[in-house]
Amino acid sequence: MKRKLFITAMLVVAAASAAFAQGRKALRINEVMVQNESSIVDDYGEHHGWIELFNSNFAPLEISSVYLTNDTTDKKKYPVPLGDVNTRIAKRQHVVFFADGQPDKGTFHTNFVLEPGKDNWIGIYDADGSTLIDEVFIPASLATDNSYARTVDGAGEWAVRDGGAAYITPSSANVIRDTNNKIEEFAERDANGFGMTVMAMCIVFSALLVLCLCFYGIGKINSSISRLNKMRAHGVEKHEVEKGEVAHDSGEEIAAIVMALHDHLDAHDTENTILTINKVKRAYSPWSSKIYSLREVPGVNHRR
Amino acid sequence: MSFGDFLLKNLQQFWELTGFANAEIGNFVMLAVGLFFIWLAIKKNFEPMLLVPIGFGILIGNVPFNTGAGLEIGIYEEGSVLNILYNGVSAGWYPPLIFLGIGAMTDFSALIANPKLMLIGAAAQFGIFGAYMVALAIGFAPDQAGAIAIIGGADGPTAIFLSSKLAPNLMGAIAVSAYSYMALVPVIQPPLMRLFTTKKERLIRMKPARAVSQNEKIIFPIVGMLLTCFVVPSGLPLLGMLFFGNLLRECGVTNRLAKTASNALTDIVTILLGMTVGASTQASQFLTPQTIFIFFLGFMAFIIASSSGVLFVKLFNLVLPKDKKINPLIGNAGVSAVPMSARISNNLGLEYDPSNYLLMHAMGPNVAGVIGSAVAAGVLLGFLA
Repeated sequence: MKRKLFITAMLVVAAASAAFAQGRKALRINEVMVQNESSIVDDYGEHHGWIELFNSNFAPLEISSVYLTNDTTDKKKYPVPLGDVNTRIAKRQHVVFFADGQPDKGTFHTNFVLEPGKDNWIGIYDADGSTLIDEVFIPASLATDNSYARTVDGAGEWAVRDGGAAYITPSSANVIRDTNNKIEEFAERDANGFGMTVMAMCIVFSALLVLCLCFYGIGKINSSISRLNKMRAHGVEKHEVEKGEVAHDSGEEIAAIVMALHDHLDAHDTENTILTINKVKRAYSPWSSKIYSLREVPGVNHRR
Repeated sequence: MSFGDFLLKNLQQFWELTGFANAEIGNFVMLAVGLFFIWLAIKKNFEPMLLVPIGFGILIGNVPFNTGAGLEIGIYEEGSVLNILYNGVSAGWYPPLIFLGIGAMTDFSALIANPKLMLIGAAAQFGIFGAYMVALAIGFAPDQAGAIAIIGGADGPTAIFLSSKLAPNLMGAIAVSAYSYMALVPVIQPPLMRLFTTKKERLIRMKPARAVSQNEKIIFPIVGMLLTCFVVPSGLPLLGMLFFGNLLRECGVTNRLAKTASNALTDIVTILLGMTVGASTQASQFLTPQTIFIFFLGFMAFIIASSSGVLFVKLFNLVLPKDKKINPLIGNAGVSAVPMSARISNNLGLEYDPSNYLLMHAMGPNVAGVIGSAVAAGVLLGFLA
């Protein structure tokens, strides 16, 4: 009973930790615009302040039932509605909520508005309404049509973007990359591959060297333990072994013992003469039933 | 329209769908390549388990058809049966399953008994990075060069796994090249082994390996996985599955699982992997100048890998005590073509001394090569992905 309880408890802990690890803590507030006069419009063609959320996971994330709020005293201000397929954010992708105070316009319209010229705070709370997932303070100085965005999607510092050299990027990545920087860097700085070869071979050698040393140590410990066990079994002292008074078993001796044991255990010269007959149960299955693989003799049917 | 015209029109449409109407020279070239692979496998017994599925896959992938008809039959057409089967290659989940089977089949005792042999497995990975440098010199981009260079690891699943991540467009050529050279290991390696060793070195007798306890065999996959994956987490899919398979084998309480992983599962995945890799070599994708370069680089990688293993042993012998010298004929086994390259070490050793059996000694670097190439793949993935 205790064992079952222990296993159940372990499974619960494992499941809970797995759920926590892969849960909605990966949701991030990624970019915010408080006063929107010429940036994106909503489905009704209107300009409103907006909040971009980013799924920093490498797996899809369902955000229905999390809470968006701009009020520290009301953590459950805007619950993201259930049952909308668009609340499932693909891996490393974004969604935009319009802070227009008109939730009757759809899932992505919050019931609060962001206030220009004032400090704004935005928080996301998990479905329990108390676990803070992410928050951001937007300074009152943020100008019209400027956004406040993370320098790297889902991480990094926040910075003001004016739409010039610093792009405003609702529903897309804050960092626009047209090449793979790593590869560009290797192509530029390590054109002949020598650097890669040195680094990679050092890593490969280190990994296998560590494994080698580790098993050298484990082998030594294991040999000592088996020697001690053997001494205990033979009732000899350590100094006798050191003096060489206890002979080591040679491979030939061990082989001879093993073969003798094999012959002994395999011997059939004495039988116990007890015969046991067990009933063999076979579960019926139409796939293996003989009924379907035998043809009836036509004559038998005819006589019936 | 008369009935005759109706029949004629339909027969004409049918003709346009046939392979005869859509055939190009490239298709026939690839069909010949497929037949050559099948011939090599059946008549010459070169890696038949791999070359028969790959060869037949090449035939399947190169039957010409009207790609504009929307029949959803081609391997690159989303939703086709072949495309669904190919997902294991393109998404890279067949190779870790093969590694699970390899782990469940492999006895690491030789390596555990003589851990210094692991370094030979590491040295042979020079083949990968030597080929990487040559590929860069030829003009490949670093990610493509990394994907091609992994052929030097002599490990088909690793090559497929890495190329699916770094250069999916070259995967067919890389996989076929890797498996072709693995099949040609008995032809490529012996001349190099003779070239780099003296007769005296070939006669070196190594001490028999000590017996390895059950506990050590159980600890090995656990510690091995943790150590190697902490160093190279990007190798986790391959190394994790390899060591997991080995734990199933060695722990003694999961014999059924180990048996399934090493037999039925490996066989199923090998069939699917070989066939779909073969089918992915459609002439339009495969017959390019890049493919020739890839085959050339693969050959180079194999030569460098085999040579560096042998030369490393010679170097290593300079610092080893006289009674612990290693026979350099086991150096070639550092590439992970298991157990083919270990068998070559043994055969060549017996050629020079009929009582000098090197097989168990060569199995050490051979399985270390599997670990080493997976670590190297993880390193390349970490740097270039």
